[in-house]
Amino acid sequence: MAEEFSTEGMLDMYLFENEQLLEQLQETVLEQKDADCFDEESINEIFRAMHTIKGSSAIMMFDNITTVAHKLEDIFFYLRESHPDNVPHLELVDHVLEVEDFITNEMDKIRNGSPADGDATGLLAGLDKFLKKIQTKDGKAVKAPQAAASEEPKHFYIAPMATSASHFYRIFVTYYPGTELVNIHAYKAVYALKELAEDLLYLPEDIVSNEESADVILNDGFKILLQAQCSEEDIRKIIGVGYDVKQVDIEECSANEFLQGFDFGEHGAQIDLESSVEQIEQKAAEEHPAEAAPEKPAMAPGDFVIKPKAPGKPKKMGKDKPKPVEKASFISVNVSKMDMLMDLIGELVISESVVLQNQDLKVPGLNLTNFNKAAAQMSKISTDLQNVIMSMRMVPLTNTFQKMNRIVFDVSRKLGKDVDFEMIGEGTEVDKNIIEHISDPLMHLVRNAVDHGIETNEERAASGKRDKAKVTLSAKTEAGKVWISVIDNGKGLDREKILKKARKQGILDDTRPDSSYSDKEIYQFITLPGFSTNEQVTEYSGRGVGMDVVVSNIQAIGGNLDIESIPGEGSTMNLKIPLTLAIIDGIVMETGCSTFVIETNVVKEFVSVTQDMMIHEPNGDEYVMLRGECFPVLRLGEWYHLKGYKENVEDGMMVILEMEGRAICVLVDRLIGKQEIVVKPIPSYVKKVKGLSGCTQLGDGSIALILDPSGLVG
Amino acid sequence: MDEIKEFTDLYGTDEVQEEEQEKYVTFKSGNEYFAIRIEYVSEIIQIQPITMIPESEDYIKGLINLRGKIIPVIDVRLRFKQEPFEYNDRTCIIVINVKSTIVGLVVEKIAEVVEIKEKKELPQSSVGHSDKGQNKYVFAIGKVGDYVKLLLDPDRLLNDVDSSAADLAVREAEDVEEK
Repeated sequence: MAEEFSTEGMLDMYLFENEQLLEQLQETVLEQKDADCFDEESINEIFRAMHTIKGSSAIMMFDNITTVAHKLEDIFFYLRESHPDNVPHLELVDHVLEVEDFITNEMDKIRNGSPADGDATGLLAGLDKFLKKIQTKDGKAVKAPQAAASEEPKHFYIAPMATSASHFYRIFVTYYPGTELVNIHAYKAVYALKELAEDLLYLPEDIVSNEESADVILNDGFKILLQAQCSEEDIRKIIGVGYDVKQVDIEECSANEFLQGFDFGEHGAQIDLESSVEQIEQKAAEEHPAEAAPEKPAMAPGDFVIKPKAPGKPKKMGKDKPKPVEKASFISVNVSKMDMLMDLIGELVISESVVLQNQDLKVPGLNLTNFNKAAAQMSKISTDLQNVIMSMRMVPLTNTFQKMNRIVFDVSRKLGKDVDFEMIGEGTEVDKNIIEHISDPLMHLVRNAVDHGIETNEERAASGKRDKAKVTLSAKTEAGKVWISVIDNGKGLDREKILKKARKQGILDDTRPDSSYSDKEIYQFITLPGFSTNEQVTEYSGRGVGMDVVVSNIQAIGGNLDIESIPGEGSTMNLKIPLTLAIIDGIVMETGCSTFVIETNVVKEFVSVTQDMMIHEPNGDEYVMLRGECFPVLRLGEWYHLKGYKENVEDGMMVILEMEGRAICVLVDRLIGKQEIVVKPIPSYVKKVKGLSGCTQLGDGSIALILDPSGLVG
Repeated sequence: MDEIKEFTDLYGTDEVQEEEQEKYVTFKSGNEYFAIRIEYVSEIIQIQPITMIPESEDYIKGLINLRGKIIPVIDVRLRFKQEPFEYNDRTCIIVINVKSTIVGLVVEKIAEVVEIKEKKELPQSSVGHSDKGQNKYVFAIGKVGDYVKLLLDPDRLLNDVDSSAADLAVREAEDVEEK
């Protein structure tokens, strides 16, 4: 136990836990942002989250987080206890989100090793004002709950998830007198019990923040109410008698008794028998006049966290909730270790093919039956291994999408637009690396959708649109790619406006009539640098930087952006992104004495061409006519000044690459085969070469260069 | 490099140092013997098939596969603007690690590992004097018995002083134009 309390581990745990709490909090809040008020469950949940954050921040001595969390907790305590019916809901949502932002910010600072020194005074003042406001509005309940909020002890309260398999325990821990900082020892016990607790209350409750609680614990013992699915032995294992703990009494009780809270009276006698003489005397003097005549202690207010809402009506202990699925256990691993494992598995796959395709095996007349059997088994295992590691890197898009929810909320509030947000397929899993890369572009697209796409409420009403403005974010996996769409039902892109702007910027080809541009071509203009049709620069968009950055970010990870729009009905931005970056399916080919690999997805077809299909321009450009279509030709050997490549097109092989609607014909000497390759970067010492995106190791251990089709086309 | 400088600062800069006992890997390139501090050398391997990278400087020979790690190799002779040479069985690759940049150096022949007790720092002004271009990579001259070894500064060897200076000049010119 003591070892587990090294601060470093604690800090990591603190950050990790709070991050998850905040994420959950945000989700809850945003889910109900459009409701009139939070339902009871969410209020409890927010209260609990804030309480936990407050508690753990207090331990870690992050005072400003503690105070902010405390303030918000007060507000929710008030909401929970007195049910004011005239709370300005959106304002409350704003406050909660502000607090969440503040804490997230502070935690980022902590994570980066800088002090959490954010100034919370403005935030606190706002929260205070808000609390006052809802209190004064709610005339009759002004005083009592306020007092309760500050005086009533707050118990650590851990998510109730009662199931039929739960047991309820009263635990009474006595510590040796003279134990230093006994409150911390008590907290250790609580901390350990949290692991298995479904619900946990303890008394005294302010063990961490109040040093005087140490005396109380020493004198009266430490009382815990635990609801868990474990046996008495399990608990004893966690809080065993040791150098500090003198004695542990555990008694199972019924759910009802549990709900009654710290009614330790009758059981006190039994415990006192074991206690020191002084303790008995003291206790006897203070509260138990005679042990023989056990009194019925009155329920003191503040002893319970779960107060029955109405007499005789037991508090709902989440019985309606489905029985929790078998608890998934997680382990967080450093990403660099994962990357290393990934690399090693890549190596394994390669060295496997080195072994299996070894030249020595090709001696005629060898009996390889057993070898081949073993080899087949090995390939199977290594494929499985590869799949497992890939699945380990896959992360659902939920968090990223959740962030977008927040952005829609913020932007629409600031712009005074009434916008719904819908997520479809947020469970779609994508490689972790990719998620990191798409977060920013997505944010931009979503902002654009709300800012430009969606009309103002007045415009919307004027154009006679009945349905509510809505931004939909959807994700799906198809053909080894992830498709993410940002859809709005706003005004759509204005073809004429874009054309006008394009002409002004001199992007248009003067010889082409406007009508010859397809909608798609025109919409692509908005992805050009410095292009913005928004006349006014807003806080969110319109500066003309953005879409081009979005597109280049997406292209950097091998994806692309496709824009569809119907005037008056809305626009759709489709992102097509590879599932993973690390392993690609590639075509291996040879030119001169160099080997190249190109991603299979961009290869449209292979053709052998004859001399008469070639068209030579006087300026040296070459084209090939294929079924009436004309493709520009790039001779790879010439492009890279390689030696000994085949100059006659009839000896080589044409590979037609197609991407972003453009096609190009690449002439190589010969094709070698199709292979799954592990992408590795070209060492940074070598300057970046146009058209190369990385390198890889082939089955025979040699190195091949990976061609970047966009570099060749561009 | 910093260590060396610190060391030399401590004992005076330009005099022959008696106390210093540093191990160097020496190799032959052209007619001279060069030496590189053993701390930088992670291993020495035999010449391997090298995958050339198009469109890169001629002295960057390409990439090799060092047990799954892909590292670039440079030809020291070409780096020193000497005549290229045919690779044979004696040709070695010295894999060096300078500030976590791992690079292989193709050299004609590894000579030996020696302790160089006496060395003399070259004055800075000699940089750029030589038309062979090798002096700027040599920071000192060491003496082993009757032979002289040129002590290489691997940092300067890897990072092209020429091109960065040229880049700088170009950038300055651009700045001026803009103004």
